[in-house]
Amino acid sequence: MASKKSPVVTRIKRAQLTSLLSKGKRLGDRGLLDYRPISVEIGVIEKASGSAIVKIGNTKVIAGVKVQLDKPFEDTPDKGLLIVTAEVLPIASPYAEPGPPDEDAVELARVVDRGIRESGMIDVSKLCLIPGKKVLAVFVDISVLNVDGNLFDATSYAAVTALSLSTMPKYQVEEGDTVKDTGEKVPLPITNLPISVTMALLENNLVVDPSLDEESIMNARITFSSSDNNTLCAAQKGRPGGFSVDQIKLAASTALSKGEEIRQILRRCVENGTK
Amino acid sequence: MSEVKRKYVIPGELVAEGSYRNVSNIFRVEQRYYSTRIGLAEVLEDSVRVIPLSGPYFPRVDDLVIGKITDFSAFAWEVDISACLPAFLPAQSVFGREYSPARDSLTNKFAVGDLIVARIAAFDRTRDPLLTVSDHGLGLVSSGEVVKISPIKVPRVIGKKGTMIKTIESGTNCRLTVGQNGLIVIDGSAEGILKAASALKLIEEEAHIADLNQKVQELISKTTGVERNE
Amino acid sequence: MSSLINSEGKRRDGRGIDELRPIKMQVGVIQNANGSAYIEFGKNKILAGVYGPKEVHPKHMSLSDTAVLRCRYHMTPFSTDTRKNPAPSRREIEISKVIREALEPALILTDYPRTAIDVYVEVLQSDGGSRCAGVTAASLALADAGINMLDLVSGCAAGKIDGIPVVDLDDPEDKEGDGDMPVAMLPNLGKVTLLQIDGKFSSEEFEKAFSYAREGCMKVYAMQRKALMDHYFGAEEST
Repeated sequence: MASKKSPVVTRIKRAQLTSLLSKGKRLGDRGLLDYRPISVEIGVIEKASGSAIVKIGNTKVIAGVKVQLDKPFEDTPDKGLLIVTAEVLPIASPYAEPGPPDEDAVELARVVDRGIRESGMIDVSKLCLIPGKKVLAVFVDISVLNVDGNLFDATSYAAVTALSLSTMPKYQVEEGDTVKDTGEKVPLPITNLPISVTMALLENNLVVDPSLDEESIMNARITFSSSDNNTLCAAQKGRPGGFSVDQIKLAASTALSKGEEIRQILRRCVENGTK
Repeated sequence: MSEVKRKYVIPGELVAEGSYRNVSNIFRVEQRYYSTRIGLAEVLEDSVRVIPLSGPYFPRVDDLVIGKITDFSAFAWEVDISACLPAFLPAQSVFGREYSPARDSLTNKFAVGDLIVARIAAFDRTRDPLLTVSDHGLGLVSSGEVVKISPIKVPRVIGKKGTMIKTIESGTNCRLTVGQNGLIVIDGSAEGILKAASALKLIEEEAHIADLNQKVQELISKTTGVERNE
Repeated sequence: MSSLINSEGKRRDGRGIDELRPIKMQVGVIQNANGSAYIEFGKNKILAGVYGPKEVHPKHMSLSDTAVLRCRYHMTPFSTDTRKNPAPSRREIEISKVIREALEPALILTDYPRTAIDVYVEVLQSDGGSRCAGVTAASLALADAGINMLDLVSGCAAGKIDGIPVVDLDDPEDKEGDGDMPVAMLPNLGKVTLLQIDGKFSSEEFEKAFSYAREGCMKVYAMQRKALMDHYFGAEEST
């Protein structure tokens, strides 16, 4: 018998979910457009330039930022580097195995990366110290600690929060193509806060923030990332199912409005400390 | 010789010294008996045992269990009973000796995602647990909600001579089917199910306190609509 | 190069030579895991999770009369001063083995034939002595999972800095010091199940450091016991 990748949802539970959906409700007394409680803890990892632990329901994710000196890529000599990785740790789920990332994990990492990169959140031109020779590399590494649905949004929120709080050393360029750490710390060159919103298609209903059970029975999934000024910067449709054109349009506009709500929540966390 | 009537212990802690005949969750070094689990240690005349507070479900023959069909082959259904190993329900035990894969379709009887009430027919160190649904009251679960509690707490849910389960059933007007593996099917009205589920949660969290029956009764008799699980 | 121990016998963080760093422990922190624990040992922040006993995949790896114990020690990329590549390094592979062999003697694996028990140690932040803290957290997670154990496993390292044996080196002391000795033991049975040495120790220095490490392990054990008691029986019950 093959090993399973996600829990089998019982027929009884499926029937329950369907009956709730017909009344515009979901398990846990949620509306179709309601996120589960989101909590954020910042600055957990002192050795990192910035860090955040985000919980959406019981999904728990940690992101850490490290800033280091590096060489630029040949085709972009005056730009710094932004590297985003995401990993579902085997501790997070009975279905996660140690080893190289499978296609779901690779997709997760690349989608989170796109959401941040395409929004221009980090102005990488401001990370250049000596063109062609020395730039700063910003690493954002995200680890999923407990899986309970909607990893796309949780990993994204953890990453952007950690980046928003990160500092980098202020370097002074000296003779002989060297740089000196002045000892001063400055914030990363952040231009906006991209927010991802993931929706699932459940029995022809569009719901935000799918739980683990909902993910097991959803027909399809779509994630939109948007930046501050009502601009969509990344999208990814997943799972073998299809959306109607109207559903896609609805998903896009939901992502923009819901995204703004969540942006305010994360902004407040960054300003105040924890939620 | 230190003897303790009842105390909380963790693995490796000394529970008693002497000579005892019956032990449970204990390992012995000469005349000293140590706990192998986190739990409540009890020393009685002839026995030393630790009632564990956590741990996996260990199937025993004749246990009633609630299982979820997760897969099937030509000859058996694979059933998740939340134990260390998956259990199997042989097609033969359902269709009879004359069972033929060509003629009898497994998925028509029980499909992936179905819940069943079954009994452990066989289990030992050399094989996966085998189930049977051949008795009265066993078979497909067609309605109700399933709640999962730690299997260690199941005796508390049933209570002495079934008193606790009767309290819940009468107070909520629901029927409870309690699997030894910690899965419990609650069948009744939506309100009743909610009350029963919160009663079960209370038992799981406070299994080790004394006047549990009273607390459960109080919880159930509260007016509906007020108590809400988060 | 400033010294690691000053003239009053105090280390850079103000500790004496036989003082442990501040330690915090919590049980039951990862919902999905069968057992889990979190430990802070100085600046070390480490999670441990256990899945099992469960079915072995692939099937041919199962053993007919006992459980297979598998252990993975892994550091997140942001856990160290310099960012670490997420792929497992040789150091992590070695430590995974060492931790597994430190835990195995404490478990009654023969009670769970044909199954696997998976232990995951995730280092979120590392600062010297992470394998000892990791094995300590893993042992809590195994007890939390309800696996039959002969004893807990308690870990604490000792070492030598500025020529003097001390207990519990932090990262700078490990890097600049003269030797490092991680140790773990079964506290009630008195068995040493993890021992490594990295550096130079004379016979006397070894005895002293080893004795510091064992004392440290017993202090760690007292905290493990309290963490389990607090979690399971409520704070009033723990002595």
